[in-house]
Amino acid sequence: MSASRLMRRNLGFVGALTAVTLLLTGCVTAGVTEGTGEGLPNDDQTLRILAGSEVKDMVPLLERAASEIGVKVAFEYVGTLEGTELVASGGADGKYDAVWFPNNRYLSLLPGASSATTSSVKIMSSPVVLGLRESVAKSLGWDATAPTWVELAAAASEGKFTYGMTNPAASNSGFSALVAVATALSGTGSSLTNDDITAVTPGMTSFFSGQKLTAGSSGFLADTFLANPDAVDGIINYESVLMGLDTPEPLTIITPTDGVVTSDYPLTLLSSADASKKPLFTELTDWLTEKKIQTEIVKQTNRRPGVPGVDTGSTFPDGILFETPFPNTLDVANTLISTYLESVRSPAQTIFVLDTSGSMEGDRLAALQQALKNLAGADESTAGGFAAFRSRERLTLIPFNAMPQPPTVIEVPDGDKTEALSEIRGEADALYADGGTAIYDALTTAYEVALDQQSERPDTFVSIVLMTDGENTDGATEVDFENFYRSLGAEKSNIATFVVLFGNGDVEELTRVAELTGGKAFDALNGDLTGAFQEIRGYQ
Amino acid sequence: MNPAVKRVFGLGLAVLLVIGIVFAVFWGRFFGGNESPGIVPGASDLTVVSGVIGSEKKPFFDDPDVKAIFAEEGLSVEVVTAGSRQIATSVDLTDVDFVFPSSSPAAEKIKRETQASTVYAPFYSPMAIATFKPIVTLLESAGIASKDASGTWHLDIKAYLAAVAAGTRWSDLPGADVAYPSSRSVLISSTDIRQSNSAAMYLSMASYVANDDTIVSSPAAQASVIDQMASLFLEQGFSASSSDAPFEDYLSQGIGSKPMVMVYEAQFLGRAMSGDGAITDDMVLMYPGPTVYSKHTVVPLTDAGKTVGQLLATDPRLAKLAALYGFRPADVSVFNEQLKAHKLDVPPLPVDVVEPPSYETLESMIDEISSRYDTPAPSTSTDPDQ
Repeated sequence: MSASRLMRRNLGFVGALTAVTLLLTGCVTAGVTEGTGEGLPNDDQTLRILAGSEVKDMVPLLERAASEIGVKVAFEYVGTLEGTELVASGGADGKYDAVWFPNNRYLSLLPGASSATTSSVKIMSSPVVLGLRESVAKSLGWDATAPTWVELAAAASEGKFTYGMTNPAASNSGFSALVAVATALSGTGSSLTNDDITAVTPGMTSFFSGQKLTAGSSGFLADTFLANPDAVDGIINYESVLMGLDTPEPLTIITPTDGVVTSDYPLTLLSSADASKKPLFTELTDWLTEKKIQTEIVKQTNRRPGVPGVDTGSTFPDGILFETPFPNTLDVANTLISTYLESVRSPAQTIFVLDTSGSMEGDRLAALQQALKNLAGADESTAGGFAAFRSRERLTLIPFNAMPQPPTVIEVPDGDKTEALSEIRGEADALYADGGTAIYDALTTAYEVALDQQSERPDTFVSIVLMTDGENTDGATEVDFENFYRSLGAEKSNIATFVVLFGNGDVEELTRVAELTGGKAFDALNGDLTGAFQEIRGYQ
Repeated sequence: MNPAVKRVFGLGLAVLLVIGIVFAVFWGRFFGGNESPGIVPGASDLTVVSGVIGSEKKPFFDDPDVKAIFAEEGLSVEVVTAGSRQIATSVDLTDVDFVFPSSSPAAEKIKRETQASTVYAPFYSPMAIATFKPIVTLLESAGIASKDASGTWHLDIKAYLAAVAAGTRWSDLPGADVAYPSSRSVLISSTDIRQSNSAAMYLSMASYVANDDTIVSSPAAQASVIDQMASLFLEQGFSASSSDAPFEDYLSQGIGSKPMVMVYEAQFLGRAMSGDGAITDDMVLMYPGPTVYSKHTVVPLTDAGKTVGQLLATDPRLAKLAALYGFRPADVSVFNEQLKAHKLDVPPLPVDVVEPPSYETLESMIDEISSRYDTPAPSTSTDPDQ
């Protein structure tokens, strides 16, 4: 046995011990760990990677890498925008060795980003396209001739098809589609400018009038569509995701002929990484770009190869994939996102169901108040700005203890938001903690309010946020709520409940509630309510 | 497991762990000793010479045959890469024996500032455009490109600039509906002008043509061409910081992503000679008229650096190896022979070649274009291993 192999084995043992302590936050397998933050195993055969959740499907191949070349991977998943901001600000230094997002373009626009990263190797690629039910595609003639985004916008505004897309402030696939649509509508044939954005806002509004489903991540969007395939006619997602989707009616993949934005998944070493990590990075990227592994990537993930000369047979449709130029300034990118959020997309109606029982007294209540205030303009970071309450949004607060309080409704106007935001901050300050915990009575009230608001304004995205720090003590039980929920009509299916796990909340029970309603549970058990609220905003 | 047993068990693990680490450190120290920097395995008596070079020459310096030739002379050459503009401005040159930027303007500036007595220009590479057969056919029908008697394609920069100024789309060109039905503007992809030398070389040739076939050398001349020059870069949208990136996109994503990319001729020919199958029959190397030579120039900062420069300039074996990576050594027959040995066509020596502007003028144009991006030019770090 060679010396270096022996050394690896000894230190691998250290890694295994560290991994055991991680069981609470992540799952541990032989070659790949998935966990969070400081808890990621950090030894001389493990590369700690902050990654987009998109690359989860690479885990089986990375397991193979661990057994073939001895390089292990520890993943923490994060949204592209949030992750890139962390890297550019130096917040990733020392916690991760590498990053792996769908692309580095947004990252490159941020000041500080280029000094934060060094080597970067593109591993695979996939364009963001539209997957549409076969019958709808056929009726519009798009099965024979692929349309342009301009034609898609016209058809959407005439109600000829509906679709889902992720939130461009939270997820790369939504942002990629937004860039492709806006650039195509501008008709300049060149990269988008701020003037173009103003000019194409009406066209974007046409296109996005067809968006009837939103989500905070590409995976969640695909899952929601699978669970409720009749809600929309199709979804915008990575070609790779759409190809792998097993829908009742097959999807026709529509690649707009006036350009798409392709993700190229660059595995990127951070400048701050310890020198001992560089060889691991090189070994892993060399392995991943070998032709036989590239062939496996194509087979297992439906992504196109990242290196030339890989035979993909008939996996992908013929025809040229025209690439849309990506904005080259941060200002244009951010203006595009905020224009989408503030003026173009259908507004949200958001109901916050907030636990103000006695156990919230003190730090917990203060954290809740701060988290709400951050969404009402107190957080000035870019991600915080994108998460803030938006023009045309209707917000309802339902604080509860032993019973739900009367709902407080606040309308954020189109235009000057100052007064509405200050009202929200005032409501947050007025919260006080006392009494029992009637989770399901409050949630039942929330659904009644939500259904009313939905029928009053059908062209909105309605959702509920449930934040609780403890177990249900008063009123209806989980079973009662489930019966109530199932008794509601089909219109409930568009109203998901996003649950924030906090304090001593019952993780399993609350996750069941989130899943029952097509929502998702978010972890704030570490106390970071602001982070959880911000993440949920991506889904609303 | 009861708590006491658990504690003892935990203690046992910890002891095992400590033994393991001590053993591993010991073993690594005494048997894994080839990892300390500056020492080539089995040749610890070599003098370490450190250089800062443009990234496109890194594979050449990594070549084991190149290392062996330096080792014969008692040298172990260690290189870190940086953009030519960084080498000339921001890279710390303390303890560096030589720099090897990709452009003569950058080399001239460093020579002046360091008062180096000599410089060596062992090889060069003309700027070229990596493109595709359907694209050159379209450009030919539009009178922008032409093929000479030897079969080499040329891009008429003057006609190209006129097409860009007119906002020409690919779809406007006759035959595009079949060959390349794209509504994108006709535009060469380059690297980020704020960071990379190959983009500066592109600016050099384009500004010469825009300035009525005269090298830009005055503020007035600069002012008259700068709007047009800025649009060549700003309209591309996002562009990468190193010359590898757009070329790799060209190779892996193809004609839809990068119909034309400004490259060093060496990138294309070196890849073709590597025989990895990346260069396909559909790909074409086209020469801009006029073109600019990227003169890879060694500026020695110490005597050891001077030795490296001399060897590169005089050792025929190093010239042959440089040619293998697509560079043109001073003796052009070496380059031609390498191409022939790899069954590749030998491109004629470009005749329409212009000099880049002075370092100061080039920098001034780049600064002006940079100011038209809204974000400050990113600061590029030096990657010590790349």
